[in-house]
Formats: sequence, C-alpha cells, structure tokens
Amino acid sequence: MAQTELSYREADSLFHRMTPFSKLLFVLSISTVAIFNNNLGVAIGLFVFSFLIAAFFTGVSLKEYWRFGKVILPFILILAVVFPFFYGGQTTVGTEEIAIRTPIKDLRWADLGFGALLGLRFLALGISGLVFAFTTHPTDLVQNLSKRGWDYRLVHAPVLGLVLFPVFLELGRDISITQRIRDLGQDTNPIRRKWIRLKHLAFAMLVLGLRNGQTQAMALDIRGYGAHKTRTFMRPAKKHRGGEIFAWAFFVLSIAYLAWKWNPATMQWNMDL
Amino acid sequence: MTEPALVLQDYSFWFKPPSGEPEGPPALKDVNFEIDQGAFVLVLGRSGAGKSTLALNMVGIYPDYFGGRNQGAMLVYHPERGLINRRELSAGERFRLVNMLFQNPEDQIVTLTVEEEVGFALENYLFPPNEIHERIDRALDLVGLQGFRERSTMQLSGGEKQRVALAAMLALEPRVMILDEPTSNLDPAGTADVLATIDRVRSLVDLTVMVIEHEVDEVFDRVDTVLLVEDQEVHGPFSPRHFMAERGLHVRDDMGLWIPQAAEVGLELQREGIHVTEVPLNGDELVNSLAHLDGHFPIRQADPGSSTNSASPRGETVIEIDNVSFSYGDHEVLSGVSLTAHRGELLAILGQNGSGKSTLATLLNGINRPSSGEVRVEGKRTTDYEFAHLVKRVAYIFQVPEKQFVRNTVFDEIAHGLQALGLPEDEVQEKTMEFLESVRLADRAEASPYVLSHGQKRRLSVACMVVAQPDVIVLDEPTYGQDFHQARNLVQLLRRLADEGAAVVFITHDMRLVAEYVDRVAVLCDGRIIFDGTPSELFSAEEVLAKARLKPPSVHEFSPKLLGEPVLTTPEVVRRIKEVIGGTN
Repeated sequence: MAQTELSYREADSLFHRMTPFSKLLFVLSISTVAIFNNNLGVAIGLFVFSFLIAAFFTGVSLKEYWRFGKVILPFILILAVVFPFFYGGQTTVGTEEIAIRTPIKDLRWADLGFGALLGLRFLALGISGLVFAFTTHPTDLVQNLSKRGWDYRLVHAPVLGLVLFPVFLELGRDISITQRIRDLGQDTNPIRRKWIRLKHLAFAMLVLGLRNGQTQAMALDIRGYGAHKTRTFMRPAKKHRGGEIFAWAFFVLSIAYLAWKWNPATMQWNMDL
Repeated sequence: MTEPALVLQDYSFWFKPPSGEPEGPPALKDVNFEIDQGAFVLVLGRSGAGKSTLALNMVGIYPDYFGGRNQGAMLVYHPERGLINRRELSAGERFRLVNMLFQNPEDQIVTLTVEEEVGFALENYLFPPNEIHERIDRALDLVGLQGFRERSTMQLSGGEKQRVALAAMLALEPRVMILDEPTSNLDPAGTADVLATIDRVRSLVDLTVMVIEHEVDEVFDRVDTVLLVEDQEVHGPFSPRHFMAERGLHVRDDMGLWIPQAAEVGLELQREGIHVTEVPLNGDELVNSLAHLDGHFPIRQADPGSSTNSASPRGETVIEIDNVSFSYGDHEVLSGVSLTAHRGELLAILGQNGSGKSTLATLLNGINRPSSGEVRVEGKRTTDYEFAHLVKRVAYIFQVPEKQFVRNTVFDEIAHGLQALGLPEDEVQEKTMEFLESVRLADRAEASPYVLSHGQKRRLSVACMVVAQPDVIVLDEPTYGQDFHQARNLVQLLRRLADEGAAVVFITHDMRLVAEYVDRVAVLCDGRIIFDGTPSELFSAEEVLAKARLKPPSVHEFSPKLLGEPVLTTPEVVRRIKEVIGGTN
C-alpha cells in the first residue's frame, strides 16, 4: 500500500506542540481573513506570515511543502491570470488606469491587483492547510476534538479517510488500467470515450467502495466503535498554553480586522447578484 | 465438568430480503452444536455454503447490524454469569466474548500505527490508559510483534498486518476467537507466521479458536474439532480423524474441498483395499499407519523417470524478458530480471508478497515500462507496440475479478472483447454463446457480473480476456479464495488454453497446483530471479526454498519416507505404493 500523502510529519516544533484545536483556530483565522480581505498589502502580509510559520515553526523542510506546492501552484497561477479578465470592479486593489492592453480585454491596475490578491489568497490558504496537515497527528485531532465535546465517531472520520485513501486510489488506478486494457469506449470520439470511462469508473468504484466500506464498518463494530458514547485515550492529551494564547490572540485580531474592514460594497464578489 | 464455550440450539437465520420482496430460504437451517472451552475448531464448507454467515451470526453482526431474522438460541459462556443467551448481552459485551478476524487484513486496519490499532477496541470499551498499555504489550508479545508498537500500519507486510489484527482481537481477551480464512491472502511465509502465532497464543492463553479455511494441509492436524457446513446445514462437531474416515472422500469428491494430502493417500489406499491402521492426518502418521507393511518402505528401487515432472517440450518463445529493471521512484522493485515464456507452457511465478511478481506481470503487456532492459513479445519490444494492440496479444487478468468488469451483463462482458476485434454482430452473438457455454455461464448470461459467485466471477474474468485469443495470458493469483473444485477447474481451463497454443504465466502461492499442473517455475526474491526450472527441481532446491521462504506441498515431504524419493502428487504416491505392495494385502 502506498504511503499516505498529506499526512503527519514527525518533528518537534512549536506547531507540533500546539493542540490541534489551537491550530484549527489559527488556520481558520488565516483562511477567513484571506478570503474576505481586499487589501493587497494584507494579502502579501498573510502570505509572508504563513510562509515564515511553515519555514521556521513547523520543523518540516520546505522541500516537503514544495512537493505539494508544485502541484497546486499551476492552478493558482491560472486563477491569478484568468480571473482579472472577469473582474467586475467590486474591490479596490488598484487604480482604474490601463496597465496592459490585450486582444481580449484591456486590463487595469485594479484587475491585475485583483489577480494578485486571488493568487496570494490561495497561497496563504494552501500553506496554512499544509502546516496543519504536517504538524497534526490524526489521533491527536480525534482526541482533542472529542474532549471538546465532539462525537468521537465523527472526528475519527479523517483517520479512516487517511487509512482508506491509498486503497481507494489503488482501486481507481486498477479500474483505469482495465479500461485501457479492454478499450472501453472503443469506436467513439475522445470526448464520448472519456464520458463512458468516467461513468464506468464512478459505478465500479461505488460498487467496490461500498463493499469495502461494509467490511470496514463490520470491523469497526466488532471492535466496539460506538459501543459507548465516549471513549478513553491511551495517551495523555496535549496541552500547550503558549500555543493556545497565540491562536486565540490571532483569532481575536482577525475578527477585529474583518469587523473594521467589513463593507459589503467593496467585497470582491457582488453579493447583490 | 466445565460448561461449553458456545452452544447453538435449533438456530436458523434468514437474510433480510430487499424491500417488497418475500423472505428467501434460510441461510442457516436448524443448527445444533456445542463447542468446548479451549477447543480449536475447523469450519469446512464449499464457497457460498454459509461458513462466513455462520461466523457473522456467532459474533452478532447478523442480524444485529445488517438485519435478517433468526430463531433458536445461541448461548455463550460468560466468566461470571456462566452459559448465557446472547440476547441478554449488549453488543459491546458480546464482542468482548466472541470476536472475529476477517479474511483480508487490509479490511480491518482502521488506524495509522500498530499501537493505535491494538488499543483501538480497548479505548472504545473505556479501558483506563494504564491497562490499555499493559494489554497492548501483552497482545503484541503473544503474536511476536514486540518492538512494532510505533510502526505505521501502512508499512507492514500482509502477514504482519494479519498478526496485528490478531493482536487487536487478543487485547480484548475474548473467550471465543473466529478466524475467517486468515491465511488466504498470504504467501507461504506469511501463512506459516500466522499459524505459528495461533499455536503460540493457544499454548499461552485459554481461548476457544474457530478457523474457517480452504487450505487445510497446514491446519488439519492442529485442530481438535471439525464442523462441516453443507447446504446451509451444519454437521458435527467431529473429531478430525473420525471426520476424515467418515467423510474425507465425500468432501473431496462431492463437495470439492481440499483435504490433507496424507489423508488423501491413506483414504485412496483404503479404497484400493490396502490396510491402513488409521486414517492419517499428516505425513508422519501416514508412514506410521503403513508401518505394518515394514520391509516395503521406503521403496528403494523407484522408477526415477516417474518421480519428477520433467519440463515438457517447449513451444516457440513468445515473451523474452531481457535484463529488465524497474523502479517506483527511488525504490528498485526489479533488478536484472531475464526470463522467457513459451507457447504451450504453464509458467508459475512464485515469491513472497512484495518480491516484485505483480510488477513483473505488468511489464509484459505494457501497463508499466521497464526502467532498463527490454521485454519482447514475438521478438518485438513492448515499447514499440501500440498499447491497444499489445493488450490484445498479452491478456492480463487481475487478482480481484470485479476490477475487470466493464459492462452491465455477463453476455455483454464477453461480447465486448469480440466487438473490439471488429467482428460482425451475428458472429459476436454466436461466439459469445460458445464462450459462455465453455465456462458454464450460459444460464447467467443476463445477470450483472457483480452478482455472480466468486468462482463464476473468476471464470468470467478469464473468459472475457481470452476471447481475443491472445498469445500470452498473464494471471495474478487466479485461484485465490477458491475451493478445490473451483481452483482445479480453473487450472484445467488454463491448461487447455496452453495446449491450444497460448503461453500462460500466472502468479500463485498455491504449491499443490504448482506441483500438479505447472510446467515451469520462476522464483522471484527481492526483485531478482533466483530460480528457473521445473517444480520438482524447485522443491528439491532447499537453498532457494529457504531464501524465498517457500514451502513444498506436504506430499513432497512425506513421500521420500515411503518411496525413497520425493513425489509431487498424491495419485502418483498411491500408484507407486499399489505397484509394490498391492498384491500382499
């Protein structure tokens, strides 16, 4: 079975010592500000801040971040380049002066600023998401959220997801190989063939996935999953006062900033639509 | 007198019918038996007879979790309350008394590390942390996995995963442990590990163990009770020897189950009128049971020509693997592999899980390309073929048949391959029916491939890949999870295809089938071919067997004590014994 990607990296760092809830609060704060912010300077600040956190406070090498970064970076660049052409002018990220003339549309500094804002927004979101994934052991997450009153059966789902994800990927890969071997969608044009293969892939994965899921459900039942409303945990829960203060402080600052800047008229997305 | 561990009284079970449909016949009918505490029970029955249904009823998954209706009583022994009706216990209490291990270790791993996996149920049952740690240590010690606590469950071998799952169950300290084909996914080394672990656990802990198995050679002389599931009824309990004496040939010939090879020889000799003192359950017992014929054994003047399956004459070379290496990223899976496959030949590829067998198979039809070296089909490099053309010449059949189905009915599944060849529609119809009849699926033509039995799915998966009459047929563990009849029928089908001119290459762990049917064997170990020869040469090559952790069939081990040299099949042993002593009895 393949090593699960996007999972915990063993290290000793500030973010490894923080409780999963504190980290969740931190990531949520960054995400909320990044999504609603319309100031280019703040967007750059958030990106640099999340980058510095990743580089110096997670104990994970930047190479590890880059392994995933290089996959999502092209999508972010496409967003940053394409969306300025559809910018409606709801936000103030630059002047109305024409910056570039293109055959499709003449782009103003405001359009370009909007593209940069989008790119920086997704970079900050991506980096902070990776910080959370790399420094949070799924079992700690289950324990921490359970102790905060969440149903442990619900919060165990990410762990099951990590365990099952490689199996699911392998299943999808094998079915795709079958489609190629058996030339599914033969004698049809490429688009129709793609559609036929996609339909078959979805059906086969649903049937086989449900079957695997049923066995997994039995394995969970047999081992007392849900036998009681709560459960014990073999390891003591993590506590990190400093981390908690940092996360709450960041959360309060984020809320304060958003409250100060809140103005539906200058939102990027026209809410009146 | 101690009370039994488990009692079933007039127990019947019906599956929950689909909504709007009437209830079908019972899946278990009037089951009555008692199992002693500490017993080691073997549950036998052909595929689909109801063995797993019985196990899932005993553990309480049916009817509590997946519906259905039951009647009668199932009593389990509770340490404080004595023999008690299962209904009087909560689900949690039941699982702590009777627990179950599934066939595929991957299906029951639910956490990321060994420690979490073993402690998972204990946490769910609210054990205090210090006791959880003690129990984890004890359970890992029992299964011989001390030092594995921090290991990732994703980096374990199949045998190790099965032992972790066993430890997770043992940590709960159940009274009854049910194992559903615990070795069917494992290579010989993994199987030996798991069975040795069960022996060790039974020697240290007072535990009732029920094991459902097809491959009984390794298990039969370990158990002390046998239950036979036949047509939804459960017969027994029998003592193993009594069972073998009374029903051995019936279960082999009429039900299509494997029986131990030593017992097979003993029963065949009895049928031929040769006196065997008692039906043997292993090789040593067979030798002892023929001790009264002292003076005959071992037969020293054996006919050397008949004792080995010398390589059959090879047809033309179809596949040439020339100094091939292959890596996944930095991990080298195959290194300098050279091998050929010929028309008319059944070639088995053996080796431990992870030795590179499946990867080698995927290089033959271009699913993967070698990192270095060449694979040639009919003298042309696979990299020079168009993929669509190559896969018609080299058919690849997956271990799990469902992964191979692309259409909605059995008929369309076969017709799909013929349509791909561009045949006219009336010819497609005609040939599809011919193929369906040849694999005995004509009566299921309109059924969905997904609702067939396991044996039917396997036959369909082979049929839909060979309709295009490929030059090479590659199969990944084709007999996995099949009973004796199903496995033998499948290998006979492959033999027929080889005789018609195809080269058949298959990956297997089944040494009995290798001994009986295969022309040539290649052994992979750590990505290198360490042996290429006949099965008899392999089974005599002790160094290769040790290195690849392979185990010959038991007949190869006990036959020298009788015949002075190893023999590969039970009919051959019987024939040779009859030749020498038949007239003296």
